[in-house]
Amino acid sequence: MAQLGKGKLNYRCPSCFMRDLDIDMFYNKDTGIYSCIRCQYRGTEADVLEKNEMVRFRYLDRAKRFTKFDFD
Amino acid sequence: MDKFVVNIIHRPEMVPEYSATVTGQGKEEDIGDKALLTESLDIFKTQQRLAHENGLKVTIQMTYASLFNDEAVELAKHDHEEYGDEIALSLLGLPCEEFREKYKTKDFCIWMFSMEDKKAIVNDVFEKFHDRFGFYPESTGSYYMDAELTNYIKEKYPTVKCAVATCWEEGPKAYHTCNNSWYTLFDGGPWAPWIPSKQNTHAPAANAAEDSGIVAIPHLSRDLIACYDGNGSNFGTHPQNVLRGMIYDTKTWEYPYLYNLIDQYRDLAKYNNGYSYNMMFVGPGWMNKMGRWEQPYELLYKSYSDGCKYYGDLKKEGKLIDMTMAEFADYYREKKGVNAGNYNEPECAPWRDILYGSDKQLFWYCDPYMRACVNMDQGGAIVDLRPYVAKLNWPVGIGTPHVQDASYPFLIQEKYRAGYFTHYAGAGTVRSAKLSYKGEEVDLCLCPTHSHFSEEVIDGKKTRILTLDPVEIKFNGVTVKLQTREYFEEGASNIKIERNILEISDPSAEITLDEYITACYGTTEYPEDMTGITLACEGEGGETINYEYRCRDAKLDGASAVSAVIPAIETKVSLTASDKALGYIEEGYAFSPMFKLGYKKTISDKEVFATWLNLEKAN
Repeated sequence: MAQLGKGKLNYRCPSCFMRDLDIDMFYNKDTGIYSCIRCQYRGTEADVLEKNEMVRFRYLDRAKRFTKFDFD
Repeated sequence: MDKFVVNIIHRPEMVPEYSATVTGQGKEEDIGDKALLTESLDIFKTQQRLAHENGLKVTIQMTYASLFNDEAVELAKHDHEEYGDEIALSLLGLPCEEFREKYKTKDFCIWMFSMEDKKAIVNDVFEKFHDRFGFYPESTGSYYMDAELTNYIKEKYPTVKCAVATCWEEGPKAYHTCNNSWYTLFDGGPWAPWIPSKQNTHAPAANAAEDSGIVAIPHLSRDLIACYDGNGSNFGTHPQNVLRGMIYDTKTWEYPYLYNLIDQYRDLAKYNNGYSYNMMFVGPGWMNKMGRWEQPYELLYKSYSDGCKYYGDLKKEGKLIDMTMAEFADYYREKKGVNAGNYNEPECAPWRDILYGSDKQLFWYCDPYMRACVNMDQGGAIVDLRPYVAKLNWPVGIGTPHVQDASYPFLIQEKYRAGYFTHYAGAGTVRSAKLSYKGEEVDLCLCPTHSHFSEEVIDGKKTRILTLDPVEIKFNGVTVKLQTREYFEEGASNIKIERNILEISDPSAEITLDEYITACYGTTEYPEDMTGITLACEGEGGETINYEYRCRDAKLDGASAVSAVIPAIETKVSLTASDKALGYIEEGYAFSPMFKLGYKKTISDKEVFATWLNLEKAN
């Protein structure tokens, strides 16, 4: 197997992102798999994108516009 | 009318941060890559255009590398003439062929060089700047400016009056996020502009003698809840940081959070005599044509364009004033009363969660004597405390005891030292209170509430007051309704916490109130040596304990104070009480390297009991 490189976009590991770690993944152009060299996550681009949607679960108010910032 | 001021800053960085690890991955390093230089300058031009199209003035922070580039110099001159942009000088962006050749190092963070090198580099870049522009700059900056560096610059180049001097809470959390490879360890500073003291950059000057001569601004305006809890580089007025945090809709490419963040900063004018502030400073590496992480260039471009448009629209609506850094320095000194001799006006920031949907609320307070964070979700507990009163001399860089660690030490830090909740044994740092009745105990940390801000003159002293909504504590057979008020008297170096017992369902019930602070010291998650700390129950018949991890305690009825002197950070912290109460001190042990100071008192219906947390310099 040839060495890993960068993919079309520089995806981070979604599993590490969940624990506040920004780790670039590397890409195997023969298999189409992105893999994290810090943890055990591996996945296709589609899987990465799906997991990236999942990591947003904690941002409940990400689509909300606030007009009031106090509790008065 | 309230003033919301924004500083927009751009830097022509010829070798942008991240270029080597993103665009250059898989290639040998080539710091003089001509294609990279061209692209970097194109990004700078794009940023300038977007700001100007939206009617915004820019501070152009020339980098050392850009001073060797004729086109970058001409662009700066042109935009100064055409748009009134300030031409300033950044100490970021040092890497280039000329720098590497001269200084024989790959170091690039000015605060980490030896003092000898700092001086040489400052002389070099300031003189090069003068050669290219014919004057010395009024503004400068880096991600961090240590006091010794600032003092040297101010002495040698007195024209400088403004500097980007810290990134708020960009300490161990940012280090961790970057897989422990990003050495910006400088927690503990102000989140909004301040006048650094000559002794320590983080600690604001208390008087003219301490005044470093500059106005410092933070790198970005950051979310005061999200950045405290998580990676600082995801939650600031840096549109691409918001993308880095994945806080956008992947289908619509919208990010209302960015605008909420800006608007919450605008709202802070209510608590700071009609003034609020924002800063946007995006390095060109964040608008890389190759994209940045998951975001393609088009999204990076859109976010910066939208950021400029939002500020530009606010300006058109008369809700924002754009200033250059030098203009802002003059404005700030006048507005804060410093020109009239008052250095004590604090910065106040009630801050609500605008991202996670929790309704949590913090209150951040900063003055020349302390920085404190009050957590309303924990009943008004103080969850972060930096004793600026010590004005700790803390040189950083090669050849000092702190090569990388520039953080201002804490006494309380709930994320690094547990806070209320600990695993299995021991205690974490927090300033709170407990109520107990017949063997049941309730800590106010478990009584979430909200607060309201007011400013009053009490006994001739300006005082900022947090009034918390009352909480009900239900014991088996009796209910206590309690309201907390916290007072920050200008220039007093203390925090008064008042508990108002509004109602006890059974007025004959004997309920004990235990006001306490559990503290230690440090700058990271890891414990420091506690030996050398002296605990004292002060007053007639008082006792002292020299810290030896032996789990000892002492108490004194009617103690005039309970205190701890921490020589390592030249700080004395104490509690004092409004009425006679039982003072106590507790030494920790190896598994719980903390100390505790407190007062216990039996409380009755309608009673008001107050304690003061006092901070002093001890040396």
